[in-house]
Amino acid sequence: MNEMLGLYPQWYVPGIGTAWVMGIIGTIHVLASHTSVGAAWLFALLATKSVHENKPEIMVYLKKYGMFLLVFSYIIGSITGPGIWYSVTVASPRGISGLIHNFVWLWASEWVFFFVEVIGVYAMVYLIGKIDNKTYLKLAWSFAVASWATMILIVPILSFMMWPGNDHWFQTGSTFDAAFNLNYFAHLGVRTAFMFAVAGAVGGIIASTLKDRETRIEITRFLSKMGLAGLVLMSFMFMWYTLTLPDNARLIMDTQMMPRYGKVLLVLLTTTALYFMFTAWKPLQLRQSMAGAMTLAIALFGLWPEERSRESMRKPYVAGQYIYSNQFFSRDVPGKGVKSDMPLIKANGVLATDYFVPADLHTITPENQLRAGSLLTHVMCANCHSLEPNGALRPLPALFGYSKEPKMIKAYLDGALYHGMVPYMPKMPLPEDEREAMAVYIASLPGGSKKPASVAINQTEIEAKGVN
Amino acid sequence: MDAATTANMLQTMQDQAGIPSHPLIFQILMVFTWIPHILFVNISLGAALVGLYAFTKRQDPNWQLLSEAMTKVAKVGVSLLVVLGVAPLLFTQTIYDPSWYASNVLSAAWVIGFIFTLTIGYLAWFTFYLKNHGAQAPGWIFWLGVFGLAMFLLDGFIMHVLAYQGLHPEKWLSWYTPGGHVDMSGTAIHAFELPRWGFFMAMSLTVFGAFLIAYGDYFKVRADRAPAYLDFARALGAKIAITGALLQVVLLLWWLIDVPAQVHVWTHPMTWLLAAYLFVLLAAFWLARSNNAGQGYRLLAMSIGMAALVSIFREVLRMAYLHPFNYDILNYKVLWDIPSFALFLFTIVVVGGLMGGFIITLVYKAGRVQGPYEADATVTKLGNGSLASTAIWVVVFIGTGIWIWLRNNG
Repeated sequence: MNEMLGLYPQWYVPGIGTAWVMGIIGTIHVLASHTSVGAAWLFALLATKSVHENKPEIMVYLKKYGMFLLVFSYIIGSITGPGIWYSVTVASPRGISGLIHNFVWLWASEWVFFFVEVIGVYAMVYLIGKIDNKTYLKLAWSFAVASWATMILIVPILSFMMWPGNDHWFQTGSTFDAAFNLNYFAHLGVRTAFMFAVAGAVGGIIASTLKDRETRIEITRFLSKMGLAGLVLMSFMFMWYTLTLPDNARLIMDTQMMPRYGKVLLVLLTTTALYFMFTAWKPLQLRQSMAGAMTLAIALFGLWPEERSRESMRKPYVAGQYIYSNQFFSRDVPGKGVKSDMPLIKANGVLATDYFVPADLHTITPENQLRAGSLLTHVMCANCHSLEPNGALRPLPALFGYSKEPKMIKAYLDGALYHGMVPYMPKMPLPEDEREAMAVYIASLPGGSKKPASVAINQTEIEAKGVN
Repeated sequence: MDAATTANMLQTMQDQAGIPSHPLIFQILMVFTWIPHILFVNISLGAALVGLYAFTKRQDPNWQLLSEAMTKVAKVGVSLLVVLGVAPLLFTQTIYDPSWYASNVLSAAWVIGFIFTLTIGYLAWFTFYLKNHGAQAPGWIFWLGVFGLAMFLLDGFIMHVLAYQGLHPEKWLSWYTPGGHVDMSGTAIHAFELPRWGFFMAMSLTVFGAFLIAYGDYFKVRADRAPAYLDFARALGAKIAITGALLQVVLLLWWLIDVPAQVHVWTHPMTWLLAAYLFVLLAAFWLARSNNAGQGYRLLAMSIGMAALVSIFREVLRMAYLHPFNYDILNYKVLWDIPSFALFLFTIVVVGGLMGGFIITLVYKAGRVQGPYEADATVTKLGNGSLASTAIWVVVFIGTGIWIWLRNNG
């Protein structure tokens, strides 16, 4: 058993929580980065077409699109990439640490591709017309493959966050066992397909401004076909993806995510397909504003729900089904020598074992009970729950029905949470006095104006669905 | 927090998963990948400052040309410094995880602010770049550029704070719980060291000055670059570099005085080696001040050498700061993971070497030719190697993945 907890200090963002901060940066990054990878393939395909069919006017489009992408994708994408890293660092330091210490060499390999990709994009844009065609095509195809390699290398980490999918990694600790988890190829397929779809939409922003009529028709139709192919492939890959999810994720997807986002995503998918069909049929009718609106819609109604869903579906874990969202280790990982934190907090609690607790809170007294409860609630709950009554992130007071009864709240802490019976909630085997302090603090939180979404409702749904 | 408790805390905070290779490998990579990062930080900041100053004198054709060129250098430089910064950050998190994560969380709002200020600063700079063409460029764009540079400087300061706070683990608890009350807002900057930050800013002048002299040499073969303009750039570069190196000497002294006595910085050979090298570099710039044509690459190489020494010195300081708390990376638990290490080595040597070499050589050679460039035999071979290595990489990675996936999930 560990002697002390290796927790870090905590960052709390009132109202939206740290999860939304990650979500906002993540949405911007996913849009920019997937566009850049998809556009790299578009560049290579169109450059090949330009050379083989002797159509130098296509290069005019590539130059314009490339300049646009430098800002849209490579600047915003390359800043928000580390930006996600930074936001996860401050929101979930133990989570990111676990990923870094498992995947550091994969990440370092991705950095090599990332570097050649960034110098490559400048070369791609500024050397159009400056170097011979053969060399340009070598550059374009190296660039396309290297761009995709960045995706190939980041998806192992993202899919491992969902779960390893089998017991191998827990026993071996091997990076490749973690990387090629059950979810990996399906996840890679979804993202690869999406990159073509989004590059098709973003490409229209520049294609719609082309002066040459024939080139405009040809490129717009090319983008439409690429976008449609991406959408079709993505639909199949998504079906496979859902089959590779753990039970807890399937449960949350079915009971919470689909009711909330399912219709929006379906409407978006249909609209995007219709948009591509229309632009293939009437390419000259495509306006810059339409392509811009389509891109924005994909970000707001596609990526934002996707980012929020992925974050929710991992619950109660943040990585590898061994690190809980609240930063505690949920289980032993023999292959890595990781020990669960659960026995320690069951025996000694959190206040006496976390280094980042003020000295006067190590022992709970009637005088400090509320402060102790506040600290414990922030540590145990605030990664996933707003503590404000109308907070945007699953507000805790609302989930307890704005109860002012510590006994009612404590009953939940004593039962379902203590024993880890709720599939999407971390187990919290805290000692009696710490549970009491939390209950007193949660009961003291102000009431809100919204209708409560009670814990009981969600539990009923879960019981009805059953969890294996 | 006393030293013994701090030591226990650091040990407990180290990731239980351990590291997948020997800690020295990560340390060496961390130190040496930081060198290109800081060089591009220096070049970008120097280019932005000079680009803006030159803009105010754009009625003179030399200054106007210089402003446009340096605005572009800063534009490219910032995007490269961002990507180059990823590697040292990755390796820092691997072996100094407690310091980096604790420091970041304690100033979390600034960490997030870094992302947004860098984004809007870069967009402002990009707009300045797009409009900064010709002597008739509108005057108001100057302020966009100033805003961009101000954001870059702020971001440099935030990075300095995050690195510096990580050196003081004994203070983390008191910073987190001022007056016994827990502060989770992440809005405070708890510690900074002006001479240390100032040293890196002065270093920007030195490195950029050397870059400007080399810039003059690089374009001397281009008929469309007037020799008078290149002479002007080199002379300006020499002045800037001398100023920067002088400031670095002064700020290094101030920095050393400011370092706590228990770090014993004065007795470390790296301190004296760095100081001596700075004097040598200063002398080299001084000697080349009036006739520096053809010396740009040599002076730039010497500046890169200085950056390497600074990087090593920075690491030596970190080790000394953490020594009283028994934090020694050599004690980090190692669980070797050979396949992923081999993947990295193959990627950096073969793909990085061939594709990176292809692009850099191509850009270098094409840039020295006025008009279209026809690839020579070297570039052709590098191009073939680039394409083959990336394709082979993907096939091997995906192939290995399918085999492991089937074995583990079949």
